[in-house]
Amino acid sequence: MRILWILLKKELRAFFVSPVAYVVLALVMVLSGYSLRAALSILERGPSEGSIVQWIFQPNWFWLSYFFVFPLLTMRLFAEEKKMGTFETLFTTPVRTWQVVLSKYLAAVLVYSVLWMPTWFNFKIVDWITAGQVIIPPGSLTGSFLILLAMGCFNLAVGCFASSLTSNQIIAAVISFTFSLLHFLGGLFIMVLGRKVSETFVDIINYFASMEHIRTFTSGLIDTRPLVYYTSLALLFLAFTHQVVEFRRWKP
Amino acid sequence: MIDVQDLTKQYAGRLAVDGLTFHIEPGQIVGFLGPNGAGKSTTMRILSGYMPPTRGRATVNGYDVFHQSLEVRRSIGYMPETAPLYTEMRVKEYLRFRAELKGLSGRALSQRLAEVMDLCMIADVRRRLIGHLSKGYRQRVALADALLHKPPLLILDEPTNGLDPMQIRQVREILLGLKPTHTILLSTHILQEVEAVCDRVLMIHQGRLLAHDTPEMLTRRLRAATLVQIEVQAADKALLAKLEALPNIRKATLDHEDGGWKKISLRVEARQDVREAVMELATAQQWKVREIYRQMPTLEDVFVELAASDLAR
Repeated sequence: MRILWILLKKELRAFFVSPVAYVVLALVMVLSGYSLRAALSILERGPSEGSIVQWIFQPNWFWLSYFFVFPLLTMRLFAEEKKMGTFETLFTTPVRTWQVVLSKYLAAVLVYSVLWMPTWFNFKIVDWITAGQVIIPPGSLTGSFLILLAMGCFNLAVGCFASSLTSNQIIAAVISFTFSLLHFLGGLFIMVLGRKVSETFVDIINYFASMEHIRTFTSGLIDTRPLVYYTSLALLFLAFTHQVVEFRRWKP
Repeated sequence: MIDVQDLTKQYAGRLAVDGLTFHIEPGQIVGFLGPNGAGKSTTMRILSGYMPPTRGRATVNGYDVFHQSLEVRRSIGYMPETAPLYTEMRVKEYLRFRAELKGLSGRALSQRLAEVMDLCMIADVRRRLIGHLSKGYRQRVALADALLHKPPLLILDEPTNGLDPMQIRQVREILLGLKPTHTILLSTHILQEVEAVCDRVLMIHQGRLLAHDTPEMLTRRLRAATLVQIEVQAADKALLAKLEALPNIRKATLDHEDGGWKKISLRVEARQDVREAVMELATAQQWKVREIYRQMPTLEDVFVELAASDLAR
């Protein structure tokens, strides 16, 4: 536990002394600022169905740009250590592989969580400026941030895995971006096709289609199934990452 | 301290280390010698628990490098060849991080940090970013890191690589200062370094062990001819022929002439000293001699000879 904490501190520091965290933070702030503007313009048009939370999180373009965050946060984690040769110094001290993998992953999750703070503040600002005239459903808000976190945990684990495969950060970023996007688009695509295929097939697809999860969570319905789904996928990819990093110790 | 049995490492069909067997006693400084690509770094990586051997076994401080990796890592201070460091960290910050990983804390940590920074002469750059340091400083930061937890065994892969002559001397002094309490395995391809600090030499070539002995014994074992140089003043035309007529001299060659002084190299049969005979001849012939000097065979000669015989096999 002590080792994990030491490693985690170092990883967090690495995020904030390099420009990466700030660049990604700026990107997310621009994104959420634009989403807010778009949502407010819906409000300007007069009464409409839904809530400001849904208008901010549901538009597709928001989710598409959102996937740039993961490669940016994770590509460096393992690839850089491989390239610089620092794995050699790291793994010749008494640390275990899982401690290294978990510390890097947790650091990424923490930084990722910080990224959404400004968005949360946006809601507070709307509430303050309109003196509570705009209703921000608390369930919707909680649900949105919860699904953001759950999807983040999964995509960050994919990013870690991609980074552990190579010593080239660009390749890591491409793998992670492609995989995250394919997962997202796969669900989206079949949802569009949904009307032409059988009911059970659509049900199965809905189980892993991110768009469907976003729809339910942003409307305030907190469903544990997607949470379990994303957590178990995250654990699976972390286990893969662990195996890739650990492989060095076993390769004859 | 180190016990290696039939250690073999194969990379994609190529043998990097081929059946190494050796034993290192505690308290020795052992020089690991060989040309680039001989398998030194690979052996050291295996000993430090970073990668497993393909075949054979190795124990460090009584622990198996593969099965008891964590215990092995606690007993060694390892400095990899390129001295990889986190370039975005500051020197003191980095060493503190490393010391924490190695289990130091509190006052003991701060004290030890100051000690190693003083010892490795990096206290003046403790607030600088590692990425901005010169190669010499980085090398010494890596060395300080290896020393942090006072490990009984130091495995240093080319510790003086990239240092200037002054710094090389300083590192040698550090190593000699550590000798009473540490066992040190250091790799290098600089032979003078081995002659200066090592008690034992391990020579490897193409993954095979060529020799394991003290530097003195190795040079004594040398079969190659040695060289004696003399500088004489003599008008004698048959000078070279007369010298060659002496027993045990294979060949005399005139290297260089400078105002009557002739510099002559004599190739002498192995393990023979001809200086007295040469002096007697000179006195008898009334030659003036201003220098006579026997070149001792160096480890370089030993290495070249051993490597050549290994290739011939």
